[in-house]
Parts: sequence; C-alpha cells; structure tokens
Amino acid sequence: MSKLQELEIKNKYTGELIRTVPADTPETVRAKIKKINKNQHLLKEMDFFERSQLLSKFATKLRFKKSELKDLVVAEGGLPIKYSEWELNIVMNGFKFCDWYYQFLEEKPLTSIEGEQLVKIRYIPHGLAACISPRNTPLSLPLYQLGANYLVGNGAIVKPSTACPLTMIEAYSIMEEMDLPALKALDLAIAPGEWAVDEFIKSPLIKTLMTITASHTAKDILARYGRFLKKTVDRSMGVPMYTQPFKNFFFECAGNDAGIVMDDVNLEKVAKWNVIASYTNSGQQCFSMKRIIVHKDIYDEYLECLIKEIEKLKYGDPTDPDVDIGPLGSRRILMMMEVMVEDAKKFDAKIFTGGEKIDTGEDYGLFYTPTLVEIKPELCEDLSKAPFLWKEEAFGPVRSITKANDIRDAIRLANASNYGMRAVVYTSNLKNIEIFKNELEAANIYINAKPMLVDITVSLGGIKDSAYPAGCKYYPQELVYGKYIYDGTPINLEKMK
Amino acid sequence: MKSKIVDKDVYKTKITKKYTIFLAKYPEIFSDLLNGSDFDFALYDSLEAYDKRAPIDIFHVYRNGNGIEIKPGCAVDSDLELALSLDAVEKLIQTKRRVEYAQLLGSFYNNPDEKNGWIDFVLHKRTQTLIDMGYGRFAQTAGILKDDDEK
Repeated sequence: MSKLQELEIKNKYTGELIRTVPADTPETVRAKIKKINKNQHLLKEMDFFERSQLLSKFATKLRFKKSELKDLVVAEGGLPIKYSEWELNIVMNGFKFCDWYYQFLEEKPLTSIEGEQLVKIRYIPHGLAACISPRNTPLSLPLYQLGANYLVGNGAIVKPSTACPLTMIEAYSIMEEMDLPALKALDLAIAPGEWAVDEFIKSPLIKTLMTITASHTAKDILARYGRFLKKTVDRSMGVPMYTQPFKNFFFECAGNDAGIVMDDVNLEKVAKWNVIASYTNSGQQCFSMKRIIVHKDIYDEYLECLIKEIEKLKYGDPTDPDVDIGPLGSRRILMMMEVMVEDAKKFDAKIFTGGEKIDTGEDYGLFYTPTLVEIKPELCEDLSKAPFLWKEEAFGPVRSITKANDIRDAIRLANASNYGMRAVVYTSNLKNIEIFKNELEAANIYINAKPMLVDITVSLGGIKDSAYPAGCKYYPQELVYGKYIYDGTPINLEKMK
Repeated sequence: MKSKIVDKDVYKTKITKKYTIFLAKYPEIFSDLLNGSDFDFALYDSLEAYDKRAPIDIFHVYRNGNGIEIKPGCAVDSDLELALSLDAVEKLIQTKRRVEYAQLLGSFYNNPDEKNGWIDFVLHKRTQTLIDMGYGRFAQTAGILKDDDEK
C-alpha cells in the first residue's frame, strides 16, 4: 500500500493554512471504485422521483449551511464573497428543482407508420461515472456532477480540484449527516489528476469519464486512453483484438465566447452587464464573455462606457463585500495573462485599461488587474497567425475588444474561433435577432440576456473544441443511454401461442 | 382580488390566525397562480420539528376565480408545502407593505437562520407542472426566487 499523503489547503488570498486533508492513493481510489460499484444497486432501489426529492431535501440542508460554505468557497477558491452566493445558488436551485430534468429521461412512446405504439425509448443509466472538476468552482461543478449521477441512478466518484476540495468535502459530509440513502454509491477522490485519470481510464468498472477541463487536457485524456487501449491488445488471433470495452467520454471544456454589441442598444446598460459577464470570478469561467465585438458606429462611445465600468471594479480581499475581483487560482493563470497581453502588444494592440500584475512571489495573493485589449479585426481572420488572446481562452481577467463593420462582420468575427460554448448578443433589431440565432456557431446563444443566470434551465455544453460530444446539454441527459424496445405482444400474442 | 378566511378560530396558535388575517390583506401576492392552485402553509416551532415531526398549525390557500380562500388544514391535493418557522411568521406579520413582506420572506429563504427565522418548501407536484401553474412567477413576486436585475 502507498503511504497516505496529506494535502494542505491554503487560503488563496492570505496563504494561511485552512485545513489539512488526507489524500487518496491509487489503492484507496481503487477501493472506493469497488465500493461504489458494489452499492450502485441501492440507487436503483429508488425511482427517479424519490432520488429527486432526496436531492431537494439536501438542497435545503445546504441552504442552512450557506454561510459556512460561502466562507470556504471564498477562502479556498478566492471567489469574492459577493459572487460566492452565485456559486452556491446555482447548485441549490438545481438540486431543489431537479425533477425538472425528468423531461429528458421520461420514457417516450413512438408511433409507427401504421399508427401503432409498439415502440418505446427507455432511458437507462450508463453505470459508474468518474468525474473530474476544475479549480474555478469549488462547489457548483463537482456537486452538480455528483447530483446528476445520483439523480439518474449512476454511482459516481468525483474528483474535486486538489487546490480547493474543502467545500466539496463539506457538502459530502452534509450528505452523510442527513444519512442520504444510497450514499455508499457516491464518493470523492482527493487525488491529483496526473495519476487519478489513469486509474479511472484503467478501471473496467467505470463506464463514463465526465471531465470539466481545458480542451487540451481533454484531448490528452483521449490520447492516454488510446495508449491504454494499445497496451491491452491481444494479438493471439493474428489481428489486433482490443480487449477493453468502450468508455463514454463526456468533456466540458474551454470557452472563448464572443459577445456582440450592436448599434441599437442602451450602451450604459449593456456595458454594466458586459462587465459582469466578462470579469465575474476574475474571468475564470469557461462561459465568460471573452471576445467583445462592437459595431463600429458605437465603438468609441461603448468603449468609453465599458472602460468606465471596468475601472469601477475593485480587486483585493475576497472577504470584503465590495470586492469584485479576487485572487487568481494559480500562478499559471497569472503567467498566462501576462503572456497573452505581451503577445497582443507584439501586434500593436492597445491596452485600454489594466495590464498590471500583483505578484506576491508566492502561490497566493496573485492578481492581474481587469484588462481590456483592442484586437484589430484584420488579425482575427487567420487563426494560425492571430494573437493568443483572440484564439485561446483567456482564463483570467483579460478581455479583447474588436470593431465590426456590420452584422455580417460581427458574425464572421464571432465564428472565427476554435471554440463554441456560448455566444452573446445585445441588439434591439428583431430581424437581426433571427440571423444571429441561425448563424452564430455556438451551442448556447444568449440574446439580450442578463449575465450569470442561475436558472435550472440554463444548459451547458458546446461545439468545436468547447465540448465533446457536441451540443447544448444538461448533465443528466449525458449520463443515460436510450434503449429501443419493440414490444409486438399486442398484435402478435395470439400467433405466439 | 378578494379574500375569504374560512374557520379562522380553529387554529392552535394565535400567530397562525394572525397570519391568515395578514395574508388576506394581500391577495394580490397570489395573483400569478392559476385558478385551482392550492397549497399549504405549515408553521413549525423548530427546524427539528420540520425534519422529524408535524407542524404546529397548517392552513392552505386556494386560488379561486375571484381571489383566494384561506382554509384550515392541508389541501386535499396540495401543490406544495410552504414551511415557515414561528419566528419567521412573527416578523412577517409585522411588515407594513407587500414589498417589505416579499423582501423578508425572500431573506428567510435565501439566508435561513435557525434562531431568527427560516422558510422552505416541499414540492408535492412536478416542478414543470408547478411552473405551468404560475408558481415560478409567484415565487418571484413573493421574494423567494430573486430577480436581481442590477446584480
């Protein structure tokens, strides 16, 4: 047995030790997977509505612990306290009303050409899922992964980020306190991705790998899976026989969302929303509005409004209720922001505001000031030559702004990306709205929408490099498969006797 | 909209009676609900009682064509149960305006506190059905689901 390690979880702003937690080893992860697999039947002993009621009850328990959970999210995640409310509400609402997802799992009868209803599509849980969560949302994403699996009846092992696992550990302990039925079919893996991913890939008990990560990391996981498959080839028959079954891969990846501002909107109002959409959680959100595309006729005026709003943002101690921008999640993010801004400067980009770092020299208290960089439209055509800030996800508080000649140009610029999670549009022209809906290349289109919605109907997913498989999606949908059932008994029973 | 309180003297606690009289003053709170909507207001003396025992008092509000009827006991086919702590009800009935009531109700939901007051709700019907019946809009009007436009 490997020796159990301990993880020190530090405050992202002060560097103080919050708590030390025991970390898993490959052996303990394997033991947890086996335990979950053995107990999955407990989930199947309840129906969907029983499980949804239990999750709803759990949401109430979470609500009563909101204050403690918020403090943990702020401390280990660095989220400003004012946005930690959003982080908690998104899961509390999702769990409270989770039976809403039944519409995606409800058995569907099909009518044949002859008008008979002999066919049904029934939705069946895939089985044990291993889930990997990122560091930017200490609670909402790992808990949503856990809850979605519970809801549909899959056992699950969830690996929160080792940078901030405490809130998720606390949420799991609330489940233990309330004695959540079938909890033995759920567990957490406190382990680094480097080896945990390999354990998940190797385990034949794991049917689905559900990962929220950078697109490049997702592709690396597929490459690792390919290498694993190759190692298991049986050549005894003279042809390569791959002995391991397929796994379901479900990736939520990066976003490089375009936000289009047309010349027919209230610029001050849109600028306020734009700042929330672009800089919440220091811009460390996959669905953050990263590429701001503005109609040329209002460009200068909008720029003025936007800079004014950006410069109102206060950065600093995330426990301060007035602070909008908390510390960055890691030194790597700080480095990426610096690299992206320096790279943009090589293209003669104008830095309208921001562009400064605060570096404590440690792995905490790191900031990059909210930054707005102009990228010229002619630089966006050829992605192989475009600035990094345009072509890659800026997972921090640096955003680009680009001028568009008209609606066609705005759509062309928005679509000039390898990513397609969301696209946002602000316009009052009803005719143009339909064009945007049809032509923007993203899985989720938001027209004149308030930013940071927490409604349960908000979908995830993406196209291009933003998600795999492609499309807008709700997690419960991705965790089941459709079973086609043809039952000819009503018309053929007599013939069978 | 009109209000009618049925059998207001049957309640075990004075506060429940006061609450029914209070709600009857603001029937427009229920205006988003479809006619026929019917849900329970259950008053609990502690969080533990909410978890494990029965409420102290319960009444239901039925939305009819003209307004609301407040009746003792559970609805026959209740849409949901709105659970409230006695501390929350004490404070709610002190409010002077509907907006103030909604804000306080919302704060008891969004920031529940075992000592100062809390509310919760248990759905007896599917979320989608309740949304179709107008409960989503009702929850916004009542301050339970926030619509913080300037967040």
